[in-house]
Amino acid sequence: MNEGLVVVVRAIISFFTLLILARLLGKEQISQLTFFDYILGITIGSIASEATVDLSSRAWPHFIGLVSWAVLAYLMQYISLKWRYAAKLIEGEPVIVIMNGKILDNVLKKMKFRVSDVLELLRNQGIFDMNEVDYAILEPNGSLSVLKKPEYLPVTRQDLKIKAKPTGISTELVYDGKLIKQNLRQMNKDEKWLMNQLKKHGINDVSEAFLVLINDAGSLYVDKYDDDIKNVKDIGDYKGPY
Amino acid sequence: MLKEVNVKKFLIYAGTVAVLVFFSLIMLSGNILKKPLGSDDDIPGAIENMLEAVENGAWNDASEEIGSLESAWNKVLKRIQFGSERDEINQLSKSIARLKGALEARDKSGSLMELHEAYMHWENLGK
Repeated sequence: MNEGLVVVVRAIISFFTLLILARLLGKEQISQLTFFDYILGITIGSIASEATVDLSSRAWPHFIGLVSWAVLAYLMQYISLKWRYAAKLIEGEPVIVIMNGKILDNVLKKMKFRVSDVLELLRNQGIFDMNEVDYAILEPNGSLSVLKKPEYLPVTRQDLKIKAKPTGISTELVYDGKLIKQNLRQMNKDEKWLMNQLKKHGINDVSEAFLVLINDAGSLYVDKYDDDIKNVKDIGDYKGPY
Repeated sequence: MLKEVNVKKFLIYAGTVAVLVFFSLIMLSGNILKKPLGSDDDIPGAIENMLEAVENGAWNDASEEIGSLESAWNKVLKRIQFGSERDEINQLSKSIARLKGALEARDKSGSLMELHEAYMHWENLGK
């Protein structure tokens, strides 16, 4: 038996199966991890690694285990989506731990959270003075959402009565030297217009541009492959091997 | 344009299903591919021939047949290794090695034991 070759084949199978299942479970797995999601991720990863290297059993039972866990996770997501009661039971719900600037110590006790943990989470958000906090909510994924008191919120254009021009999000027109025609059409522009704009930046062909972005306000960001930077600043502080 | 998007979507879903089916076939291939495809990879056939030869005391025939069994096993091993357990594969290899010894020693009981064990391991491959 060529164990190396078998491991490579099983690794390819596990890798792509895991990729497909992770995409099936959606972005929620990454951005909104609850404690259970975290354990789920570890378990699924562990099964995938066993499927790769545990040659004492066939890959098939591991594959079935992998798919079963992923399907169960998907079902749980679906049930949570359709049935609020189940969502509350399975995922928990956000809990206010600071209200009107006052720490709700009985809530902290219930959540098995220490005050020092709350202070740490506040410091992670750049809040070193408790007097700044109006509300703090402990989310199901363990993070803390904070609302500062109005007097400590950053000034906005609205406060200064300055009219802000909406910029919208940026859309890629050229990516890695390649024109994205679909996006160009979406922004109601054509290739002639784009080439005129690029000529202003010294670009005669789309392939010379590394990245071109346009926002809803019509403002263009152009980055060429040739950056004209002779000496790139070395920000390293230690003379290493290279 | 909507039709194009729908076709692309369908192809992506169909492709994903096809990939998973392909992976499943590889993992389940052991039980199917262990079966003889030609005349030179017939393990159960070789075992049966050897059982007959050993029962009849035809040690020379049995010794010739062990060569066929070994080459058949080497051929089958290459294609079933992705869908079978390593331990089962190793056990069958060990049985064949012990069988060689038993045949050299013209040990009837030992040879029969190893032949039956080898057959059992072959049956368990891919299960």
